[in-house]
Amino acid sequence: MEELQKVIVEFAETSKKTKFYFKDIEKAVQKVLPDAKMRDIKKACTALINDGTLIYFSTGSSTMYGLKGRGMTEDPE
Amino acid sequence: MGLSLAMLPHQGNFNKQDLAEGGIEVAFEPKDSQNAINYAESRIYTDAELKNYTEEELKNYKVKHAIPDLEELEKGPWPSFVSDAKQGALHRKKLADDRMLIDRDVIEDMLGQLQVSFDEGETHWKHGGIVGVFGYGGGVIGRYSDLPEKYPSIAHFHTVRVAQPSSKFYDSNFLRTMCDMWEYRGSGLMNLHGSTGDMVLLGTTTEQLEPIFFELTHKMQVDIGGSGSNLRTPECCIGKARCEWSCYDTQALCYELTQYYQDELHRPAFPYKFKFKFDGCPIGCVASIARSDMSFIGTWRDDIRIDQEAVKAYIAGEVVPAGGGHTGRDWGKFDIKKEVLDLCPTKCMWMENGELKIDNAECNRCMHCICVMPKALRPGLDTGVTILCGAKAPILEGAQMATLIVPFMKAEPPYDNIKEFIEKVWEWWMEEGKNRERLGELMQRSTLPTFLEVLELPAMPQYVKEPRSNPYILWKEEDVPGGWDRDIKEYRARHKR
Ligand code: HEM
Ligand code: HEM
Ligand code: SF4
Ligand code: SF4
Repeated sequence: MEELQKVIVEFAETSKKTKFYFKDIEKAVQKVLPDAKMRDIKKACTALINDGTLIYFSTGSSTMYGLKGRGMTEDPE
Repeated sequence: MGLSLAMLPHQGNFNKQDLAEGGIEVAFEPKDSQNAINYAESRIYTDAELKNYTEEELKNYKVKHAIPDLEELEKGPWPSFVSDAKQGALHRKKLADDRMLIDRDVIEDMLGQLQVSFDEGETHWKHGGIVGVFGYGGGVIGRYSDLPEKYPSIAHFHTVRVAQPSSKFYDSNFLRTMCDMWEYRGSGLMNLHGSTGDMVLLGTTTEQLEPIFFELTHKMQVDIGGSGSNLRTPECCIGKARCEWSCYDTQALCYELTQYYQDELHRPAFPYKFKFKFDGCPIGCVASIARSDMSFIGTWRDDIRIDQEAVKAYIAGEVVPAGGGHTGRDWGKFDIKKEVLDLCPTKCMWMENGELKIDNAECNRCMHCICVMPKALRPGLDTGVTILCGAKAPILEGAQMATLIVPFMKAEPPYDNIKEFIEKVWEWWMEEGKNRERLGELMQRSTLPTFLEVLELPAMPQYVKEPRSNPYILWKEEDVPGGWDRDIKEYRARHKR
């Protein structure tokens, strides 16, 4: 779990993009940890949301994740 | 989250036992006990504040921005949202400053900006943002004006989706409390109901979101609904609560799946939105077949129940057909051949020695005959659900109706068979679906035979409407004797060039 969280944060910090679909995160994690399960990646994302590391960005119809304080302002782009 | 949804009317603390003593049997009870909501205690406004303008004042009232095109809309024969919005605007104009927490002019500015959009043919709402309530990935939708200098009070104008109770059973204590809360913390504008079924609260600021969430969940025991890439608020028809045709308990299934899939509802990880809807029978009062990615429609697999005496009574004109549904005009004497037998889509009904006969193997459960003669005909007793997948509105390609996947499945608590099916579908869609790809689009892209393979279902005769129009059977190499290679000499021995 901690390892998953670490990989997610690293990806969110270093990726060129600042907003990610869940699938982007899943793929990035599985590149580093090929055996990581989708459900566990989701749990790790949820934990990171709950401790305030990640935040959601929603258009209303679809949702993305981002690192708090990186690239996303409260206003949409 | 363990939050309860207000799925039963708020008429006091009650449970299954109390109801049973009162002679009422319910198939389920809420997972958390329900508080009584008493408007007399929860109200914010006095009667005088709620009715704070006269009809005369309303007639003379002018919104502060010129809105000629919107006013044109008020002239039509139907109730107009513009007239409603004007009432709200005037009401806010006359409330005292400390009686509302967001800007007084929100409604007027909303109307003003809408007029600009009409003039220019473009929206001035910015889409989306980081608004939400803590820990939830859906239910709040960020909306911002891109003309904030001109319309400052709608610089933030966020939407909150409130989960509707199953079948939308409300009581007035709940509705009044909701209206007061929203007048106080929001614009007062609301939409009953959005197409997901939620009660939609339109227009508030970011600072008000957490307080609103607290009021809703802790005081009113109602959760916020779904938005974004997650499970949207499930919706059901009135079902067994009032409808004798309901082939399963739509409310119980809707409630169970809503509670069971809380994580999917509030923590978006799907490729895109996903909707469940539950119709108790093929009449389809919530139109699940057109409006949900997974549509549950009640059906039966035994025979339509026939009361031959009642059939005779309809023929003799002793009972009004269609429950009196067409009484506005004289249609002449009821003609069972013209109105029932000939309109049966599969022509599986006939009269024999004064009795109505049905070849149930050919009946496709369209409900027509049952609707016309509800006293004489009723759905069978071996009931369950039909599950269809893949309906969607037109964003990519056109609008799409759902495709039949499971012709019949029992639908009884704890619904493990249904959950197993749902999870198989989700597993595949989450794995194979592209970002922003609906289930229906994935089914189309990867073909129906692939979808059936994933679900481990055989192609069934019920899928076929007519030959060649829906090709479920595509041969695979291992299914063909000899595979794709053939002995050309052997072939030529039988087929001359
Ligand atoms: C890259 C080239 C081609 C592609 C991708 C292609 C693709 C297709 C597809 C997908 C179908 C529908 C099959 C079905 O519904 O079962 C079809 C049918 C057909 N194609 Fe082609 N085709 C190509 C070239 C050709 C050429 C060069 C001819 C004729 C000289 C041709 C004649 C036909 C005919 C007559 C049918 C109808 C067959 C029937 O309805 O039974 N196709 N083709
Ligand atoms: C005087 C000349 C022709 C006549 C009267 C004729 C007539 C027809 C008719 C009545 C059909 C059936 C249409 C249907 O089922 O709706 C047909 C189908 C077809 N014809 Fe012709 N045809 C002629 C020439 C040709 C030629 C020259 C070709 C190819 C080079 C051709 C290729 C086809 C094909 C591939 C089909 C099947 C189409 C499908 O299944 O979608 N025909 N033709
Ligand atoms: S869908 Fe069928 S069961 Fe549900 S309310 Fe309508 S008629 Fe009744
Ligand atoms: S339900 Fe529809 S298909 Fe079945 S017997 Fe009645 S009219 Fe015919």
